[in-house]
Amino acid sequence: MAQSCRSEVAMAQPKLQLQFAHSAVLRYGLGVVSFGVALGLALLAQRYGFHNVEVPLLLFAVAVTAWYGGPGPTALTVVLSIAFFDYFFTEPRYSFYVTRSDIPYLVVFISFALLVAWFSAVRRRGEGELRQARDNLQIEVAERTQQASLLNLTHDSIFVRNMDFAITYWNLGAQELYGWAAEDAIGKHSNELLQTVFPAPLEEVHAELLRTGRWAGELKRTTAQGTTVVVAARYALRRDEQAQPVAILETSNDITQRKRREEEIQRLNQELAKRSMELEAINKELEAFAYSISHDLRAPLRHMAGYTELLQKRASSVLDDKSNHYILMMLDSAKRMGNLIDDLLAFSRIGRAETQKTLVSLEQLVREALTEVRQDAEGRNITWKVGSLPDFYGDRSMLRLVLVNLISNAIKFTRTRPQPEIEIGCADGNTDDLVIFVRDNGVGFDMRYANKLFGVFQRLHQGSEFEGTGIGLATVQRIIHRHGGKVWAEGVVDGGATFYLSAPKPQGHLWKP
Amino acid sequence: METMNKLGRILLVEDDPKDVELTLTALEEYNLANEVIVARDGEEALEYLYARGKFKTRSSDNPAVVLLDLKLPKVDGLEVLKQIKSEEKLRMMPVVVLTSSKEEKDMVASYKLGVSAYVVKPVDFHEFVNAIKELGVFWAVINEPPPGSVRK
Repeated sequence: MAQSCRSEVAMAQPKLQLQFAHSAVLRYGLGVVSFGVALGLALLAQRYGFHNVEVPLLLFAVAVTAWYGGPGPTALTVVLSIAFFDYFFTEPRYSFYVTRSDIPYLVVFISFALLVAWFSAVRRRGEGELRQARDNLQIEVAERTQQASLLNLTHDSIFVRNMDFAITYWNLGAQELYGWAAEDAIGKHSNELLQTVFPAPLEEVHAELLRTGRWAGELKRTTAQGTTVVVAARYALRRDEQAQPVAILETSNDITQRKRREEEIQRLNQELAKRSMELEAINKELEAFAYSISHDLRAPLRHMAGYTELLQKRASSVLDDKSNHYILMMLDSAKRMGNLIDDLLAFSRIGRAETQKTLVSLEQLVREALTEVRQDAEGRNITWKVGSLPDFYGDRSMLRLVLVNLISNAIKFTRTRPQPEIEIGCADGNTDDLVIFVRDNGVGFDMRYANKLFGVFQRLHQGSEFEGTGIGLATVQRIIHRHGGKVWAEGVVDGGATFYLSAPKPQGHLWKP
Repeated sequence: METMNKLGRILLVEDDPKDVELTLTALEEYNLANEVIVARDGEEALEYLYARGKFKTRSSDNPAVVLLDLKLPKVDGLEVLKQIKSEEKLRMMPVVVLTSSKEEKDMVASYKLGVSAYVVKPVDFHEFVNAIKELGVFWAVINEPPPGSVRK
C-alpha cells in the first residue's frame, strides 16, 4: 500500500517542474523581447512628442524580465536598457558615448533597475515558495485521502477526535457500527453523539492516555438507531511537534454478541452455583433425615418387637391360638417394618454415596452376581443364557447391586414357570451408549403400569404372590441414573419381562463385543 | 455358677429406659447382670468413669466393658468415647458401641477413636438377646480385662 502511495507522489513531481523550468533561450528571449518592446514604445512616444516615458518603460521591461526570467536575463535587460538609453535618449544622441552629465541619470537608472529586479526576484521567490507549499499540501491531501480511503476498507470502526472531543475523521466501519454517516458525525462531540459509557471515570481514562499514549477498554454506546452496542475500543494519542496532544484515534470493534453470550454464561453459572448450593442443602437435610430414621425409627420398633416377644414367652402357654396368632402377626409386621427401613436407608445411601468409577468387566460382575443369588435359584431348573458383555465404566459395587437386583427379580418372577429361562446380554445400542438387558419368561407385567415399576415401594404384584419391599428396581434406576444412563422395561402379562439399562460407552476404550 | 464369681462389671450407657429394660432382661436371661451400672446420658457416664458427683464413692476399679449408645442427651456417645480414649487411666478399658444406627460415618468415627467393637442392635428381639448375651459373655467372662478392672 505504502509503495503505491509513493509512486503517486513521484508522478505528480514532473508536472510541477514544468511550470518553473523555462529553457534558458526562452528566458533570455523574454528579456530581449520585453526590452525591445519597451524601447520601441519609448521611441514611438518620443516621436509623438511624449518625453520622459523611456525610463519607466525600460524599468517595466526589467521588472517583467526579473519576474519571469530570473537574474541572468534581468542583467541582460539592464545592460541593454542602459546601453540603448544612452544611445537614444542622452546627449550626444545616437552614440554610446557617456558624458559627465549622463552619469547621475545612469546611476539613478541602474539603482532603480536593480531595485525593481531585486524586488521582483524576492516577490517571485516568495510566490514560488508559496506555490511549492500549495503543491506539497495538495500531495499531502492526496496521500491522506488515499490513506483515509484505505481505512474505509477495514471492518473495524475508526474515528479521530480532537482534544475538545470534536470528531474529525469517521470511517465506513464507524458508519456501519454506529449508524451515522461521516458528514453527520464529523464536528460532533464524540461522547455526546455516541452516549459513551466508560468502564472507569473519564478523567482516569484520559490520565492514562496522556501518561502512556494508549488506552483500551470496553465501552457501551448507543447507535443512531437507538440500540445499545458494546465495543472493545483502543485509543491512541497523537501529539504535534511540540509534544502537545492534538488528537485521539479510536479503533473499536463490536463485541455486543460476545458480551451477551458472556453475560448469559455468567448468569447460567450463577444459577448453577445457586442450584448446587440448594442441592447441597437438600442433601444435608436428607442425610440428617436418614440419620434420624436410622436411629429414632428403629428404636421404638425394636422395643415393640422386644416386648411382644417377652409377652409371647410369658403368656403363650396360657393364651388361645387366636391370641398367639395375633402376637405372631405383630412380630411379623415389626420385622417387615425393620426390613423396609433398612432398604430405604440403603436406597438413600446410594443417592448420597460417592461413585468410584473404574473400568469394570460386566462378564465378571455377572458371574459374581450369579454366585450371590445362587441360593434363590437352588432346586430350580433355570436355563441360563449369558451372552458376551462389554466392559463398563462405573462404580463396581453399585453395578454389582444392579445386576443382583435384576437377576434375583428374574429368578423370583419365573418361580411359577415349569421351564424358567433367563437371558443376560448386550443389545445393539447407538454409537454412544451401551445397552444391557436381563430377560425372563416369567409372569411379566402390564405395560400400562410400566411407569410404576421403578418407583420406591411400588409393587405390581401382591405380597402374598411375590415377596419384596419394592425397592430393588428403584435402586437399579438410581444407580444407573448416577452413571448417566437410562433404565426401561418391556413386558407382557404372563409373557415375560425384559429390563434394559443403557449407559455411555467407556471413553477411550474400544468396545469389542 | 462357676462364672458368677468371675463376672466383670458392665457400664451400660443408655438413655432409653425401654432399651435399658430389654438389655437388662437379656443379660439376666444368661445371669450376666449381677453388676451392671446404668448411666442415662454421656455426662453421667463420664461422672462414673471419673468417680465424680454421685459416683464419688465408687470402687476405684474400672468396669470390664462399657456398652455405649451413641445418641445420648447432653454429651453424646462419640464424645464420651473420645474422652475415655484420651484419658490415661481409662484408655485401655474396652468400649463397645451398641447403637440403632448403621450409619457408616458413625462407624468410621467410632473405629477411628479406637472402639473395641461396634454392634447394631437388631430389630428382632431374638437376635438382640443373642447379641447382648454374646457381648456379655465375651467381655465380662471370656475377655481378660486390662489391669485396673478387678473381677469379682
